[in-house]
Amino acid sequence: MRSAPISSAPCVAWANDFDEWREQARRLLQAGTPPASVTWHDGNDSHDDLFSSPRALENPPSSRKPSSTPIRIGRDQLTLLRNAARYRTQDYDQPRWPLLYQVLWRLARGDAAAAHAADADGRVLHQRWHAVKREAHHMHAFLRFHRRDDALGERYIAWFEPAHDVLDLGAEHFADRMGGSRWIIATPQGGASWNGSVLDYRDPCPATWASEARTAAARTSASHTRVDDDHALWRTYFVSTFNPARLNHKVMTQHMPQRFWRHLSEGDLIPAMEAKARHGGQRLAQESSVGQRRGKALPPRREAQDGARDQAQGVAKS
Amino acid sequence: MELIDKLSILADAAKYDASCASSGAPKRSSRGKEGLGSSNGMGICHSFTPDGRCVSLLKVLLTNFCLFDCQYCVNRRSSNVPRARFTPEEVVRLTLSFYRRNTISGLFLSSGIIRSSDYTMEQMIQVAKLLRETHQFRGYIHLKAIPEADPKLLEEAGRYADRLSANIELPTLTSLKTLAPEKELGTIHAAMGHMRQGIDAANDDARQDARQSVRSGNSKRQAPRYAPGGQSTQMIVGADATDDRTILKSAQRLYRDFRLKRVYYSAFSPIPERPAGLPQAAPPLLREHRLYQADFLIRSYGFQAEELLNAPGNLDLEIDPKLAWALAHRDDFPVDLNRAEPAMIARVPGIGLRSVQRLVDLRRLRRIRYLDLVALRCRLDTLRPFVITQDYRPTDACQDSTRLRQSLTAPQPAQMALW
Repeated sequence: MRSAPISSAPCVAWANDFDEWREQARRLLQAGTPPASVTWHDGNDSHDDLFSSPRALENPPSSRKPSSTPIRIGRDQLTLLRNAARYRTQDYDQPRWPLLYQVLWRLARGDAAAAHAADADGRVLHQRWHAVKREAHHMHAFLRFHRRDDALGERYIAWFEPAHDVLDLGAEHFADRMGGSRWIIATPQGGASWNGSVLDYRDPCPATWASEARTAAARTSASHTRVDDDHALWRTYFVSTFNPARLNHKVMTQHMPQRFWRHLSEGDLIPAMEAKARHGGQRLAQESSVGQRRGKALPPRREAQDGARDQAQGVAKS
Repeated sequence: MELIDKLSILADAAKYDASCASSGAPKRSSRGKEGLGSSNGMGICHSFTPDGRCVSLLKVLLTNFCLFDCQYCVNRRSSNVPRARFTPEEVVRLTLSFYRRNTISGLFLSSGIIRSSDYTMEQMIQVAKLLRETHQFRGYIHLKAIPEADPKLLEEAGRYADRLSANIELPTLTSLKTLAPEKELGTIHAAMGHMRQGIDAANDDARQDARQSVRSGNSKRQAPRYAPGGQSTQMIVGADATDDRTILKSAQRLYRDFRLKRVYYSAFSPIPERPAGLPQAAPPLLREHRLYQADFLIRSYGFQAEELLNAPGNLDLEIDPKLAWALAHRDDFPVDLNRAEPAMIARVPGIGLRSVQRLVDLRRLRRIRYLDLVALRCRLDTLRPFVITQDYRPTDACQDSTRLRQSLTAPQPAQMALW
């Protein structure tokens, strides 16, 4: 808060996840430590400072008596900070903890523009949050469950490679969605499982989950069909619902980046469908295999009513 | 016939319907409950086919046998296409299986008309009823409403479905008469009216319930829902000579009179067994895109169809409708972003609704500068001649519109190929 005096003694803070960061940031802020005096260490970072040591965590940021004023920021601002922290930074990105502390510092001093999308700091946070939201949505959309029953009955397993830390956002969604069905989601980092009533997070993901999920996801081609009938049904649907006359590669890849294709049950069909559409199949909206089947025009009106009924019933019975 | 063959025929037959939205459903969850499925109001696109359209729902016909002979339709009775029919149980099985694999968020069921309109509608309701009651399915259901069916059946359909839609297909009486002799505009409008009444009544009940439950503390009691995702319709573009102005004006009327959630525009794709008089050309995709842009301007930006097209004709294919409007109304520009009403800022080409909200928030904190527009990722090349900020005035403010248009649409210089 504004009342806190500024202490410029340099210090080191260390955090693994957002809650640890929040705890550290609160103490630093109450001690009035400006962002420039803090060196942050991220547990997720592989390339750390030469002189860093996890011991720094134990050191309280300042020996001065912390002021007891609670730090208040808006709920929206907290959501922004929390979700921007899920973004996995690349080498050239600004590291997350110093950025978050910089924004928090400015907010706590009454500079509300710090969290705005047009601000130099806020802009980065908003971009990160946007990327995280998008990745969570990708997970909801492009994760594929494969049915692998065990002694207890129906069970589903999925392999997914999220670009940011969104496993828990995805897991909550699937707990709502799948109801009583049991499932496991494995990722290169953590894993989650649902037994019908309780979510179980593991970090790192247990090796048995990962290997089973990867095997299931890898078998997307025709060989897969022997394990799971409905796999072929889905692939048939995907081919049939495509309109070759509207071929539009750019829009498809905009919405469904190619990095996801590898683990989609229908991903390997796409190149062939595109090639076929380009080489002559593009004239009609109809799927060519459907066009090759024997057609049936129906007789007009009065007779049509009886005719259609008989034929329809005949088809339904066969 | 095997299930897989039926699926390939009936999915192929259903792809001409553009709608695939799974949004607008109320919040539902299956956590700790019997059954399957959730919805949270946001749609999910589970896949994209190479035509760039999303796969959100299992979109199939119950059958493609049909008594009608609509010329633009691949399933008309005189068309020589393979025919098939699902049993309600088969559709239920496919829906649940695909849903568990996370490849769809629900079902969009339509059908050719067999026996009678009432019978066909009953069959579709049967599928929805099985899903909702026998299998406790809480995912999205979109049912096609058959306009000629008994209003009582439409009412029943609305209790199971999140969305109902009756397709208008052709917006004028004359094209409907020549291309779809069995359809009647009046009947379609009447059905839309019935659905609007149902939706309005359910909303009133829900509001009353919300008030009462606060008072009585009983949150369990809920009004019977009726198509909570609203109703939509579709118009075919490019099958006949109807122009964009007619299409947009009738869309606007539908939004106003029947409070539709969406009007979809479907560029006419060439079909096998093409009847005389229908185009064989590639679907007019860009025209369809411009119609969607104009539709969005009408629904969310407060534009009127007459403003976007003040004379009979089509939308400009070269520039988007918002830029076209701005170029035709230079007197209203440039807009001072630090003073203007939000509704006027939303009319600047290159500034979207979200940026409008952010700019309004920002100017409560400080003055807006040009760099803020860069940070908000607005489309700078189109907005440049139309805005004023604290530190910026357009130099080309008095350039005439034809010039400006030329400079905005000038082709990008491209590197020539060496060989």
